[in-house]
Amino acid sequence: MIVAGVDIGSLTAKAIILSDGKTIGESLIMTGHNSRIAGRNALELALKDAKLDDSALSYIVATGYGRLSVEFASEQVTEITCHAKGAHALYPEVRTVIDLGGQDSKAIAIGEDGKVVDFVMNEKCAAGTGRFLEVMASALEVELKELGDISLQSKSPAPISSVCTVFAESEVVSRVAEGVSKVDIIAGIHNAIASRIYAMAVRIPVREKIVMTGGVAYNVGVVRALEERFKTSIIVPEKPQHMGALGAAIIAGERFSSLKK
Amino acid sequence: MNEELDKVKQIRDDPSFYAKTWKERTGGKVIGIFCSYVPEELIAAAGALPFRVFGSNKPVSRSGAHLQTYCCSFARTALDSTLRRELEFLDGAVFTHTCDTMQRLSDIWRLNAGFDFHADFVLPVRFGGELAWEYHLHELEGFRSRLEAFLGGIDANKLEKSIQTYNTNRGLLEELYMLKCQNPELISCEDVFSLVYTSMIMEKEEHNGILEKVVSNLKSERKNKGQKEELFGVGSIMDQWEFLRIIEDVGGTIVDDLFCNGRRYFEGQVVCNGDLLEAVGRRLWERMACPCKHGGKSFAKDLPERVKNSGAKGVIFFLLKFCDPHAFEYPHAKKMLDDCGIPSLHIEFEYGSLPAGQTRTRVEAFLETLRGRRD
Repeated sequence: MIVAGVDIGSLTAKAIILSDGKTIGESLIMTGHNSRIAGRNALELALKDAKLDDSALSYIVATGYGRLSVEFASEQVTEITCHAKGAHALYPEVRTVIDLGGQDSKAIAIGEDGKVVDFVMNEKCAAGTGRFLEVMASALEVELKELGDISLQSKSPAPISSVCTVFAESEVVSRVAEGVSKVDIIAGIHNAIASRIYAMAVRIPVREKIVMTGGVAYNVGVVRALEERFKTSIIVPEKPQHMGALGAAIIAGERFSSLKK
Repeated sequence: MNEELDKVKQIRDDPSFYAKTWKERTGGKVIGIFCSYVPEELIAAAGALPFRVFGSNKPVSRSGAHLQTYCCSFARTALDSTLRRELEFLDGAVFTHTCDTMQRLSDIWRLNAGFDFHADFVLPVRFGGELAWEYHLHELEGFRSRLEAFLGGIDANKLEKSIQTYNTNRGLLEELYMLKCQNPELISCEDVFSLVYTSMIMEKEEHNGILEKVVSNLKSERKNKGQKEELFGVGSIMDQWEFLRIIEDVGGTIVDDLFCNGRRYFEGQVVCNGDLLEAVGRRLWERMACPCKHGGKSFAKDLPERVKNSGAKGVIFFLLKFCDPHAFEYPHAKKMLDDCGIPSLHIEFEYGSLPAGQTRTRVEAFLETLRGRRD
């Protein structure tokens, strides 16, 4: 049985191909302005990676914001359910998923059976998401992917009090003008994210183990700041950005199996 | 039935047009009201049209000079509507004592809206006890006097007829809700809420005619009970039609609720045995209390039983941002539901800014959670 999960997010589109539960192909591309085309391209790249064409697929589940625009999907499932499924498949001990994506952040409470018990998402604000970090990286003239390692050098993180991305950027510029080091500013930004995410997450029951998904999980500084806030270690999968697509593919397998019965 | 529902939606989408047309046709006066605690029967008995003022999804331009941004968008947009002269057909307004924002809005409205009639109907904050009841009656008598001074006399015959008309309307809405609960596929929740909404705008006799046709049609409809996830709605105002369409689109429907412009508007009958004014007051006294009020029937305590009786499997709290009374009640209500194992989803909204994509994801994920619990 070969199935696919396609996660079309606000920033990136990902796809995973599973063959009897084993990953045989994957992809990650920028979504751009057309989520339908992005979804199709992500799937085709993953199929190419698996050396297959789409006739091999028995079932496709689409997730993410762009899930409704994907006409080739057998079913659409929200990213909340998919991230929970993906994280639980890799880490059955997970009870909380913190997903920090391009423009979304979520906290998901999972039961012992891996099912979603409760969840909370960011409201209209992008603070705490990849977009927030992009804006900050640009303001500080550093590469996005360098932020994490740079912040680990900080001995005295600069407090960033603004919760809004736009106002926080102004604050960062002010800190630079005051002569505060980039290292401390970046660490302060990561602490601000962690505070924001913690404040959101505690609206649901937060239990160990915590797994972090989404692209922001590649930022070791954010992970460290979150661990300090939650006072526990956080599991980061090898490919945190693909958790939604993995969960979608697993659900595709489950759906197809139950249809066959 | 579709013809009736289309007519209802037209009125729903342009209530001002209805009110203006009614005014031209009857020569009567239109009194704006902001709360379901207003004893509308008195206004109707005086020959006027009680017209519920709702918020607006248009961007706010003028009310920012009068109300702070931490006031709810219902107050800010309703004030904006009148400051933009969109409510000129109103002859007056009645404000009730509910929350701080509405109390302040009353003064601001009185000073800026320029209508001939303005009344504050100051209900007790705490219901229960002889003193509060006496005060409640006194306030009702005072309100009647103020209405009579502006609209003319309200004799017992007129009041009794008005009460009967309102009771008929309440009974029909109760039947509508019952039919919806029995078979959620019969009518969409958007249509149900549209029918309650227009009841708060239209002349009651006319609305009763529409309701009778709709209820009669629904009774004779044969539709199979489908797979829709049955939900219970809680909040102050439900007039976000796109939100209701999203719920239906993702496989859910609201089968019962405790919205101000939902069940809480029409629940209970006025029982006329003795003094009519007292009877009207008794219904307001005994109905499900709004979170603005204390004592009386507890909003949160009653919620789990209402949810179970409706057959709903989950609750959506659809709360207006900056509505403090509902926000204060929410943790208590949620705990009541959590203790009974009833899942709930909390969505906060503001007029004019309901993000469709995010909202859809939340509701859809909630329904997936409900289905997961069942499997």
